[in-house]
Amino acid sequence: MLLVLSEEHKEHLSFLPRVDSAVVGEFGRIALEFLRRGSSPKIYEGAARKLCVPVETVQRGVEGLMYLMTESSKHMISKVDFLDSVLVLGFGEELNQILLQLYLQHHSEIRSILSQLPSNLPGYHNLEWRLDVQLASRAIRQQVVPVLTMRLLLTGGGDGTGELSRRVLQTDPGTLLHLISTLEGALAAIKTNHARRIFRNIK
Amino acid sequence: MELSESVQRGLQSLADPSSFDRRSYQVLVDVSFRSLLSSQADPSVLDQPELKQIDQILLKMRCVAAVSCLEELSFSADRIEIFYSTHQEHRKEVERLLASIGRCPPHIHDASWCLQYHVKNDQVDKINEPFYLISLNTEVKRSSDDINFTCTVEQLQDLVGKLKDAAKSVEKASQM
Repeated sequence: MLLVLSEEHKEHLSFLPRVDSAVVGEFGRIALEFLRRGSSPKIYEGAARKLCVPVETVQRGVEGLMYLMTESSKHMISKVDFLDSVLVLGFGEELNQILLQLYLQHHSEIRSILSQLPSNLPGYHNLEWRLDVQLASRAIRQQVVPVLTMRLLLTGGGDGTGELSRRVLQTDPGTLLHLISTLEGALAAIKTNHARRIFRNIK
Repeated sequence: MELSESVQRGLQSLADPSSFDRRSYQVLVDVSFRSLLSSQADPSVLDQPELKQIDQILLKMRCVAAVSCLEELSFSADRIEIFYSTHQEHRKEVERLLASIGRCPPHIHDASWCLQYHVKNDQVDKINEPFYLISLNTEVKRSSDDINFTCTVEQLQDLVGKLKDAAKSVEKASQM
């Protein structure tokens, strides 16, 4: 699959051949930091001063590079397709190879960062549990009631802060056994022929 | 056991054979228990002010203490026996009612699951991974709520493993 780069994108990237390879490598590093931690204007200003070019040029170059990397990682394009896509930019062989290396070294990391972008559903993080016996309450004395108290830790939930939400829940031993057998049924579903056929055929 | 004045007065009038003969006493005791235990109590059944007081007693008493209270208030042995046998008849339900009073965390009743295959999303293409959508059905008082979350196969195995550990410890504890 080939990437189709817009004219604007090509224009932003046209800055890259004008600097030497060490600088391109440095821009690559800045672009990845941007993905991991967000951008910092000071870095652009510093680079712009050293290269004697306007800040916007540096910023667009780095962002263009970042976009090239994320689009390639998103679609998991092959080496050949990547080189063919960059060919259209008219860069020299050396620069193409630098970009390719940047892609190959970092595409897994980029994919995992992209997949952590806020999802709309809370995800399982952990379950803590304790077994208690209720002996009495305000309304009734002399009880012997086993109670399983749990704390379910979930990630996300749409606010994107990456903070965990905690839910305190309770159940009784009978329901606990029912939950175990229900969820074991869920685990068994993935081993069926039907599921395996789907996994094999949707790629 | 301490009873308020209004409760004691209500009970005293119940003990008096001239206000309530044996048959109406029996009916009253039956009706009190039933009105306590049924959530759709017929309001007209409760017009007797004494009935309201009986409900309070049932909520607070354990049988032995109730009997000694009734003795102190000069209930005849006959009437005590009627109260005691009606109490025993409804004991389990009263205990269940008492146990349901009070606050506790949401109680899980059921779980449902859904196995899905994540093909792609707007940020990443070619994901091709199975995942589960789990829904825990919980209840607090009478309102129910669902806790929904996703998990991978490994996470579900982790969850089931932890629940099994909990079940093993329940089994060990029950054998002590």
